[in-house]
Amino acid sequence: MTGAKVECSAEDGLMHISLSGEIDLANAAVVEDEIRSAVSNQPSAVSVDLTDLSYIDSSGIRILYGLASRLQALRIVLELVVPLESPTRRLIELSGFESIAALRPGHC
Amino acid sequence: MATPGEQSGVSEGDVYRLRRIESVTDAALAHLDVEGLLAELLDRVRELLQVDTATVLLLDASCQELVATAAKGIEATVRQGIRVPMGKGFAGRVAAEMQPVVIEQVDHTNVLYSLLLEHGICSLLGVPMLSSGTVIGVLHVGTLTRRRFTDEDIRLLQIAAERIALATQTRRAEVERAAAAVFQRSLLPGRLPVVPGLELAARYVPAEDGGVGGDWYDVFTLPSGRLCIVIGDVVGRGLVAADVMGRMRNALRAYALLGGDPAEVLSRLDQHVQHFEPEMMATVLLTMFEPSFERLYLSSAGHPPPVFALPDQPTALLEVPSDHPVGVPGGLRRRTTTVNLPPGALLCFYTDGLVESPSSSLDVGLERLCESVVAGPVDSLCRQVMSRLVGDDVPCDDIAVLAVRRQDSGDVAPLDLVVPALPWSLRDIRVAVRRWLSAVGAAPRPVADLLVAVGEACSNAVEHAYGPGGGTVRVQLELQLPYVLATVRDTGRWRLPRNEDRGRGTLFMRDCSDDLRIDHGPTGTNVVIRRRLAQVSSR
Repeated sequence: MTGAKVECSAEDGLMHISLSGEIDLANAAVVEDEIRSAVSNQPSAVSVDLTDLSYIDSSGIRILYGLASRLQALRIVLELVVPLESPTRRLIELSGFESIAALRPGHC
Repeated sequence: MATPGEQSGVSEGDVYRLRRIESVTDAALAHLDVEGLLAELLDRVRELLQVDTATVLLLDASCQELVATAAKGIEATVRQGIRVPMGKGFAGRVAAEMQPVVIEQVDHTNVLYSLLLEHGICSLLGVPMLSSGTVIGVLHVGTLTRRRFTDEDIRLLQIAAERIALATQTRRAEVERAAAAVFQRSLLPGRLPVVPGLELAARYVPAEDGGVGGDWYDVFTLPSGRLCIVIGDVVGRGLVAADVMGRMRNALRAYALLGGDPAEVLSRLDQHVQHFEPEMMATVLLTMFEPSFERLYLSSAGHPPPVFALPDQPTALLEVPSDHPVGVPGGLRRRTTTVNLPPGALLCFYTDGLVESPSSSLDVGLERLCESVVAGPVDSLCRQVMSRLVGDDVPCDDIAVLAVRRQDSGDVAPLDLVVPALPWSLRDIRVAVRRWLSAVGAAPRPVADLLVAVGEACSNAVEHAYGPGGGTVRVQLELQLPYVLATVRDTGRWRLPRNEDRGRGTLFMRDCSDDLRIDHGPTGTNVVIRRRLAQVSSR
């Protein structure tokens, strides 16, 4: 079974979500639920760190897309932290995330 | 060489002090380089002759200048990098005339540099340092008070110069040998590149007596995907040969990058050597492999031909016409030979040190080499060749051996995996795909791409191929160099993508493969993905 870890922390209205492990069809629904419950308390901005994600496919991208669309409708800023040249980065860019989220290559 | 005691007119005390100069094998001196050794010996010369300064200038043969190398009492000559042309000034006169020179009163008319005057040196005695009858430098001593150097002083300094010349030459040779060995090692590939589809192994053994020579081998790929294997032998030995070898290796890499077949590349190298290294000569064999490894092109600049072995066939030397070595003016047009390389075929490249020995002829050596080579694993082949041709002999020339074998399909079995069409099979598929790709030596980018492409195809099958009854997914991977061919099959009736997420999956598959074919049929769906094994994607 595919394993992913979702870690959340909030400070000053900024929600940090860090995803690690692998996301595919097998665990996408679980990961989606965990993220959904984490951002329910109306933060002003959300940052999702994908640095430690070793595999993601279109089902994982779908979750992120769903999150991005929802936050956009709520006018909440979304930022994705994805290292340049990583496989995840390619799929994120290929899916046109630049128009709905800010992409950052690494931690501040 | 006469011992000090046999020199007439040399006192007991002088004999003792001369011995101190001779004793350059002292443990305390063993770790010193040439400059350090000379500095130590000069102290002993000062003691011997009761003088204030002692200086050694060594001849730089390339420019016929004497270079201040060590000094005691007048260290500034070394620090200022004093150089004296042959025949000029005091030291230049000593070297040119190969005779002792005495100056009782130093002034502007008899020394070239004012440095000696500035230091208040009043009287000088200089003698040539000779090695096998040629000048290698000058040893001179000076006093701050006026002194009339006697014949005995001259004789003592000559004996000292003789000892110091010998010590210098010996130490120089040791240092050079060590430097050349380190240098040459640094120029050979420390670890051969991993080339998926080929097996490579090499051995290099320096000659035992005269230090390293100019043998080298090199393995590199070109942007075109061609693989180059070079083996060469620069004529000469020691640091000079190793140095030239390093430049040739880099020049050849650069010329190969410009494109062209092996004959063209060797012609450029030849021009380069004739122009920039006019005294040098080398034999070189350049081999280029097609990216598929099915064919190779060779050109030989006077280098012995490689051994060619096929499974279940007699081994023989490859027929490669030998053109003139590089560095030889006026050669004819170089030729390139094309050879087909079937799967399992092996080539063994070598330098002449492997097949030539004082005890047997070249033909005997080549015959023994052919008998030792079989189309098998390359590492054990290298071991076998070295054991049969070198054995317990002391190698009197450098030996370089490089074996390359094209893998056949049996070496990396295709992956064939059948798993239930369920979401939790996806991770197992990734584990198997990763392992197989690592076994064939795929680079990180193709691995990441194939994981996504195969993963998306499998997700499609899991989500859409079957109804509640379920089914299986079959994943096959095989090498079709330069590609990996991945096939994902199900036996269900693929239903049309229901939403944009599936469309994104197909987009990912396309982007992660060099070629993608999806066939829906009444018996199921076949997804065929082709991805280059090398880092670069055609997209």
